Amino acid sequence: MRFRAKIVDLACLNHFSRIINTIVKLAKTCILRLTVCKLYFILSDKVANGGASMWCELSQGNFFDEFQMEGVAAEHNEIYLEFVPENLWRALKTAQSAKAVKIKLTNKHCPCLRVAVDLPSLSSCSRIVTHDIPVGVIPRRMWNDFREPSMPDFDVSIYLPVLKTMKSVVERMKNLSNFIVIEANLSGEMNLKIETDLVSVTTHFKDLGNPPWASEDGCQSSGQGRDLESMAEACIDIKKLQQLLAGQQVNPTKALCNIVHKRIVHFILLHEEVSLQYFIPAIA
Amino acid sequence: MECVLQCFLSLAVFGRAIHAIARISDEFWFDPLEKGLALRSVNSSRSAYACVFFSSMFFQHYCWTAGTQPCQKEKQLSLPCKLIIKSVLPVFRCVNVLERNVEKCSICSSPSEQHITFQLLCRHGVVKTYNLTFQECDPLQAVFAKHMCPNILKVHSRLLADVIIHFPSSQEEITLSVTPMKVSFKSYTEEDTDFSRTMLTEIQLSPEEFDYFQVGVDSEVTFCLKELRGLLAFSEATSVPVSVHFDRSGRPIAFSIEDLLLEASFILATLCEAEREISYLYKYCIFQFHSLFFGAVSYKDKAIGDTFQSLVTASDTEEELGALQSSPVL
Repeated sequence: MRFRAKIVDLACLNHFSRIINTIVKLAKTCILRLTVCKLYFILSDKVANGGASMWCELSQGNFFDEFQMEGVAAEHNEIYLEFVPENLWRALKTAQSAKAVKIKLTNKHCPCLRVAVDLPSLSSCSRIVTHDIPVGVIPRRMWNDFREPSMPDFDVSIYLPVLKTMKSVVERMKNLSNFIVIEANLSGEMNLKIETDLVSVTTHFKDLGNPPWASEDGCQSSGQGRDLESMAEACIDIKKLQQLLAGQQVNPTKALCNIVHKRIVHFILLHEEVSLQYFIPAIA
Repeated sequence: MECVLQCFLSLAVFGRAIHAIARISDEFWFDPLEKGLALRSVNSSRSAYACVFFSSMFFQHYCWTAGTQPCQKEKQLSLPCKLIIKSVLPVFRCVNVLERNVEKCSICSSPSEQHITFQLLCRHGVVKTYNLTFQECDPLQAVFAKHMCPNILKVHSRLLADVIIHFPSSQEEITLSVTPMKVSFKSYTEEDTDFSRTMLTEIQLSPEEFDYFQVGVDSEVTFCLKELRGLLAFSEATSVPVSVHFDRSGRPIAFSIEDLLLEASFILATLCEAEREISYLYKYCIFQFHSLFFGAVSYKDKAIGDTFQSLVTASDTEEELGALQSSPVL
């Protein structure tokens, strides 16, 4: 098993760091899956994560100038590592003026991702900062636990409002309640609601638009036949929603969510070079 | 004793000195001397000592008068006193705000009253007066023979700050490793560190980055980072370069800054590799608790250290009043 990668371009480094920052807000530990072409950050829906799960996918070519990996075996040319995103974030945070950042899988005392940052300095030699981030290697027999989640059979799919607005609304609501209800319909309307003994607050969004999904056999989406005004709703942990929104520093190209009534909310955030899916289960 | 701080730079510098000392201990010695004001502190485990000396020229107005005590042959000095940092910190809490709002700060004490008065004259005619009670105490001073250290580095505080930023704020101890060819700072790891859970960081620098670089003996010294951070913030406020004097592991490391108006020294104990424990400073520094006992100061080995150690413990419990001669800072 070998992995070696290098980022030289500052913009790519900055972008990659921002993605890691998003992941930090969503997961304390997660899985990094390396393939020849892509990197995946995966959080599976175990109880420890509060049932939330995440699938983030990016093409290595958009970020790394050099990327070489050799997986566990020829027919399984992939590497699955468990790590703490906060550690990687810390290593990259102070590397923003770096001449180069190299990441390598090593095994000195234990398996580590070694991040070596080449920083400019006043003298002729550069300053080299090395961070050894401990990782756990996931054995092949457990890889099935981390498959891409399938699109749920949703009741309503709707584009999200401007994330900055949604974030500030949710942040204020977080002060009042631990749970938030998201409801939306196929007429482009979405409501965010909280209710406590003392107060209930609802924010209404309209004209959001509904993404046109076509099912595999070419028929209309599963929403067909559904009353356009009828709301699908799910009550979810408000902190999870707030963390998702807080991690988005740049406006995604597309942001939408799929609601399975009273079961789960599936968020999809698409940027040019990275896609993020986040599933938040409904509270019973 | 009375001194007046004016001009914004001085106030920010003074405030940062208090903050730096606060990282060492909860209380500090306030020691007005003829030549200037000394602030000193030592932590409870005697593994860190700080002293900041502001010469009288640092202040717009510095007026020190000897106390009047009968039956003393030597010149009288007002007693140094101990103040609780927590009571002083609010005075200098937001250094940035201080700069904008405070026009003048005056500090005065009189032996007859049991307090020291800090008075801030702020904008719009607001006057804030803080009367802080002090405890009389024996003078504290540690003398460390810096000039006898084989390894001396001199560098602008910015470089050290740029190095430390790579370590997490929770990092307690770091190891400085030098050879004549290279310098590195790395996270300290014990024998039983769980590597599978700990992120390790190392920064390698070239000797060219230092204003002065002398390595007489290859060494690796491990010291507490938290105490250093205070000094770095302080030295950035003063823009004076930092000198680092050290030796082999186990012997203290001294970070100091010095210019015309002030001198500051932070002496930190380092981990003794052989014994795997912090070597307390009193093995290598001479703590003057009662100057009448000690004459010349020299950096010597353990034998003397042990004697002083017992003296230190003895002095701690005594409460001696009467004039005591305080010699100037290191």
